[in-house]
Amino acid sequence: MISIRRCAIPLADIFEKFPDRRYIMFGGKGGLGKTTFSAATAYYLAKKGHKVLVFSVDPQASLSDIFKRDIFGKGAVEIMPNLYAQEIDADRRIKEYQEEIRKKILDMYGLPKVPEEIEGYIQAAAAEPAMEESAIFDEVVDIVVKGGYDYYIYDLVPLGHALYYLSMASVYDAWIDKITHLRGEMAEYDKVAALVKREKESEEDKILTELLWIKDRINKSSSILTDKQKTAFFFVIVPEEMIIKDTQKAAGLFAKFDVPLSGYIINRVIPPELKSQDIPEYLRHRITMQDKYLKLIDETFKNEILASVPEMERDVTGLPMIEKMANAMFGNGGKP
Amino acid sequence: MPKEEEKKEEKKGGFFKRFGRAARETIYGMAAHDTARFALKTRGSMEHLFILITMGDLLGVPILPPYYSLRILPYVVPQISTWKRRMLRERDLTDALA
Repeated sequence: MISIRRCAIPLADIFEKFPDRRYIMFGGKGGLGKTTFSAATAYYLAKKGHKVLVFSVDPQASLSDIFKRDIFGKGAVEIMPNLYAQEIDADRRIKEYQEEIRKKILDMYGLPKVPEEIEGYIQAAAAEPAMEESAIFDEVVDIVVKGGYDYYIYDLVPLGHALYYLSMASVYDAWIDKITHLRGEMAEYDKVAALVKREKESEEDKILTELLWIKDRINKSSSILTDKQKTAFFFVIVPEEMIIKDTQKAAGLFAKFDVPLSGYIINRVIPPELKSQDIPEYLRHRITMQDKYLKLIDETFKNEILASVPEMERDVTGLPMIEKMANAMFGNGGKP
Repeated sequence: MPKEEEKKEEKKGGFFKRFGRAARETIYGMAAHDTARFALKTRGSMEHLFILITMGDLLGVPILPPYYSLRILPYVVPQISTWKRRMLRERDLTDALA
């Protein structure tokens, strides 16, 4: 489609070479094509016979739009053979979760209704902005722990948020570690008091059990996100100065969280062949500008460019356009 | 054995039992009560610290993260009101002596 000399290793080869990388993520600034690439990759892998689940961790997900199917909150929906897509309804999950907590309180203490103060807290906690993300995070843990697919494709939120999402595991981990430790110390004091008073063993700390359960779930999730054998993280970039600079910064931050970066994919490249055609001055300028930034991308990301995808003539929505995009990413369009 | 003698024996045994318990409690009071009290007091403070870390929002101190603290909420329901009272009450020098 376009002459590309930037691909160090073609994207398709990454999937061939590292078949164990089953958790695929596309990151980048908003509007660069993360969802498009997620859907196209899912399509490509499904066509190759793998069972694929593409799911969105974005509260404002757009998988429904790209597949032209309303899949919001409906669990994993089959789009075509081997290809499943899921959009998490965070609100519903939070409501169910609140209800579960209420029920537990009523059952544990035999109360007719949840005390006002506690009810207030349950409601206030659900209104926290972090709640939505945490709920999605928790559902994603459910999805990956449950298994059943060959590939899991995370349609991530834009950069800053993605970093927050990825860091959530390590923040939670540190938090849980601290309070588990505190809880352990408390149990020691319990034991001392019981021993001195010659009472029987202090009863098992249910909170500690709960904390260890939470810790185990978080560890499962963070071990996937940072596992170089199982996870591939791709950055989506476009040939524009600000995007290149921001991506460079973000890559540094992601590296701090041990996210295994597999490479970069350039999107929205205006086909340079157009230059030889009769095109308006405006477009000619854009192509010249683009050449400059493609050069910069070459210098900046050197051997980590995996594919270069042209600007499509129309929106990528619906399976025929997704197929076209998959061909551009993995087929001849993406090869040198 | 006739019934009355049985009762006598029981009384005797009861006396020794009671004496034994009283002696044990006296010794416990003299030697170990303070240790147990201190352990329980420290345990109580830690319990409140724990609730502060997990349920800080109840006092307007948001400490991460609300999603998982909700999971712990059911277990600390009975302690919430004493914890709030303790956290919010005024303090003075006598607190250090208590």
